[in-house]
Amino acid sequence: MEMSLFLVQLLNGIQYGLLLFLVASGLTLVFGVMGILNLAHGSMYMIGAYLVYYFAAMTDSFWLAVVIACSIAMVIGVIIERFLIVHLYKRDHLDQVLLTVGLIFIFNAAQSFIWGNDPLGVDVPELLSSSIQITDIVEYPVYRLFLSVLCVGIAIGMYYVINNTKLGMMIRAGESNREMVENLGVNIGTLFTVVFAVGVTLSALAGIVSAPVVSLVPGMGERVLISCFVVVVIGGMGSIKGAFVAALLVGIVDTFASVLLPGMSSMTIYLLMALILIFKPQGLFKS
Amino acid sequence: MSVFSSKAEKVFIFAFFFIALGIPLFFNENTFYVNKISTMLILSIFVMSLDYLVGRTGLITLGHAMFYGLGGYLFAIMIPEYEVVNFWLYTFYVMAASGVIALIVGFIVLRTSGIYMIMITLALAQMTFYFFADSTEYGGLDGLFIYLKPETSIFGLNFLDLDNENHFYYLCLLSLFNCYVFCKVSLHSRFGRVIDAIKENPERATALGYNIFHFRLVSYVLSSSLAAYAGYLFSLQYGFVNPTMMSWEVSASALVMAILGGLGTIFGAILGVFVYESLHYGIEHMTQYWMFWMGSLIILMVLLLKSGIAGLIEQLVGGKRK
Amino acid sequence: MIFKNKTLRKVVLASSVMATSVLSGMSAHADESPIKIGVMLPYSGVYAGLGEAATNGLKQALKEKGNTIAGRPVEFIISDTEAKPARAPELTSAMTDKDNADFIIGPVHSGVAMGMIKSVRNKDSIMIIPNAGANAATGAFCQPNVFRTSFSSWQTAYPMGNQAIEMGYKKVVTLSWNYGFGKESLAAFSESFEAAGGEVVKEIFVPFPKTEFQSYLTEIASIKPDAVFVFFAGGGSVKFVKDYDAMGLKGKIPLIGSGFLTEGTIEAQGEAADGLFTTLHYADTLDNPKNKAFRAEYLSLYNKPADLYAVQGYDAGQLIIQAVEATKGNTADKKALIKAMEGVEIDSPRGSFHFSKAHNPIQNIYLRKVENGENVVVKTAAANLNDPARGCRL
Repeated sequence: MEMSLFLVQLLNGIQYGLLLFLVASGLTLVFGVMGILNLAHGSMYMIGAYLVYYFAAMTDSFWLAVVIACSIAMVIGVIIERFLIVHLYKRDHLDQVLLTVGLIFIFNAAQSFIWGNDPLGVDVPELLSSSIQITDIVEYPVYRLFLSVLCVGIAIGMYYVINNTKLGMMIRAGESNREMVENLGVNIGTLFTVVFAVGVTLSALAGIVSAPVVSLVPGMGERVLISCFVVVVIGGMGSIKGAFVAALLVGIVDTFASVLLPGMSSMTIYLLMALILIFKPQGLFKS
Repeated sequence: MSVFSSKAEKVFIFAFFFIALGIPLFFNENTFYVNKISTMLILSIFVMSLDYLVGRTGLITLGHAMFYGLGGYLFAIMIPEYEVVNFWLYTFYVMAASGVIALIVGFIVLRTSGIYMIMITLALAQMTFYFFADSTEYGGLDGLFIYLKPETSIFGLNFLDLDNENHFYYLCLLSLFNCYVFCKVSLHSRFGRVIDAIKENPERATALGYNIFHFRLVSYVLSSSLAAYAGYLFSLQYGFVNPTMMSWEVSASALVMAILGGLGTIFGAILGVFVYESLHYGIEHMTQYWMFWMGSLIILMVLLLKSGIAGLIEQLVGGKRK
Repeated sequence: MIFKNKTLRKVVLASSVMATSVLSGMSAHADESPIKIGVMLPYSGVYAGLGEAATNGLKQALKEKGNTIAGRPVEFIISDTEAKPARAPELTSAMTDKDNADFIIGPVHSGVAMGMIKSVRNKDSIMIIPNAGANAATGAFCQPNVFRTSFSSWQTAYPMGNQAIEMGYKKVVTLSWNYGFGKESLAAFSESFEAAGGEVVKEIFVPFPKTEFQSYLTEIASIKPDAVFVFFAGGGSVKFVKDYDAMGLKGKIPLIGSGFLTEGTIEAQGEAADGLFTTLHYADTLDNPKNKAFRAEYLSLYNKPADLYAVQGYDAGQLIIQAVEATKGNTADKKALIKAMEGVEIDSPRGSFHFSKAHNPIQNIYLRKVENGENVVVKTAAANLNDPARGCRL
């Protein structure tokens, strides 16, 4: 492989990995703080993408649509936590699996009812629709570069919030010791609602910003969910730092595998996950 | 000591098998219903094997469909193309082969537990799914056909014709009955009591000198072989295997059925399958948006029916005897 | 439409229709029992849009006849395959054994088709495939009671090989999802392309249903072929065409494909699709009176433009109508009915066609170019193309 080609593939891998991080971070955050395994996480990715499609067409502004879609996702998150998840804190993972599978069904039905089943696409916003020449023949779409920058920005933002703010302190405490948080005089119910809503919104945001580079089809959420699982497990359930490292790893491995091991490329990331779990049964960064 | 852990179970098991015996007579004009119920019986075996693992051994898996699919694929791959093979012999081959695979897989996945085990079983199942979906020689996403159904003679006696829907139905019913008896007997043995003890309190079981890894592994292999047997029966029913048999949706819906029926009750698996499948069938024919109603029902059931339908029946019929 | 909410599985017939059927039923057979048409298409999941269009087309054809054929009313039995192959045998068995359907229309998905074909063997119902292109359905697995009103994968890609040579391409990279439809399309393209002296320098298979194409596009850019031939459908087509454009490859390495690349997807693809050449047995813009009439009526009935899938469903309906009229309403004698079906000439919006020995359409394949958001027919790439039906002994 020539050097320039190698670098472009590396860029592809990093860019894909960063997007995976954006989806996976919400899942791992919710699990880390609340101990909830949300299988409907991928559905929020789908809902986010469809919402931005709908509002971009209505308002004629992609950016306005992003804001509206994020707000709606956050409201959905609060509603789900307040009315459904709240009953599950004392139950085991199995009940969570069951309830969130139910949610997947409902979101899929809603998608099909509201937006129909034809593939839909969202236009790249005018501002970012150009491409940059990077080799003699390959151009790189500016929007994809923007996505990477955005994801890195969000990662840094999360790192800052978790390490330097009161909310972050509560989250860190929640990960390690739930009673301690109660003792600090924090209303754990509110904390959980906030964390769940943020987690869900992160997933929706990933769907929203990906909308211009993916096609909107029924079932898109489940596909993302599985990749997301792989990332979260490799990184260590509940570890944001782990999710970041793992997402990049998965993105890069998947990209190179698809070129170098074409016969078994779809198996590769699962193989990677199995291998890592054999040596580190709790993932790379145990929280 | 009674084999039944509650009066409800006794009543249900007697009623179920009594009615099930008469089903083909009742629907003798209409092979569709016989076929449909045969499928549900096969699914019941699959879900029961899952309940054995999840409900009784305390090991949660989201990759059980891998063995369901393997059961079908192992058979489709092992048989010679133009030869009628013996059903019983291949039952043994399929279960033994999948048992060996389960032993190897078990060594890996049982090193983890809880949420990690859910994830790693899922990953391995996906890997197997893609192995078959991307393969050329095993039919890829279109799957494989099984052209000739096996014959069922045993010691020169041949009383089952697998091409006959009613015969196949009784084979499924017999298999489910055997599976139920096997689960109950093994759980009532010393092995089963250790399994229960491990589920209750792994540390205590270890302190008592039991190697919990070995017990879990045995349980995992047994359960996986049963699941493979169910997949084998499914592949025989319509002579057809497809990688979607081992998709994660199949694992997830089996888990939903097991929980719906009542986890750890074994007989609840049958309840879960029949209620879930009937609802699916019924709602789907009423509305295009059946997924909405199905989802809502599942959520309601989690919130309201804490110990599944079996638990509900136990409340109605009478308390546990145990 | 009743189909929209399936609260009633069976279409209730308007009283006027009943009256006609009573009158005409007096003749010949006096058989007024409904002709049962089972419909097994996906209404949920990725292929739902296709299932809906095919159903609309089918119903339009029968509606033109007042839902009565040779004096007998028509009854629909609709079931959702969810495009899940594992469910196919069970649902088919419901059609053949429970509902005793005379005809079964379905499916869209090739995997489901394989399961269905297996289950209609030696049954009385006649299966009409309104989309699934698997070569084997009218090849190695062909059966007397299986017809297809759509195409074989081979038919839609084979003519492009010669077209590519005519366009002056010598070295081509081929790419598709790694599943039956894609593999068969690439093989058919390579067959004619290599026979005419071209060279396929690399064949790339993307795991289905992956839509992260960046790494493959980068690889194509490094190979620098004369052109790229791809097979994709639906959401994959949208994504691929957009990514191809965004990577700056479109102006430099021409993209050609089987027609599904730009079928029902152009709106979502936008300008990225402009100028693409594809081959298919239909184009929305085909200039013939039948097509115009069909499209106008479809638009007025369903309030959206017709597409390829609607045409194929419509032709399935026409096939049933012509065959049952030929047997004067007798659907009990399946042999005679099949014989009638083999003999019909269907006046399709795609141009008229009839069936090959293997029951696949012998039809024109058009070369189309995307202009202003439409597939415009450039010329007929292959006239009356017959699928080789390899392995069929009918």
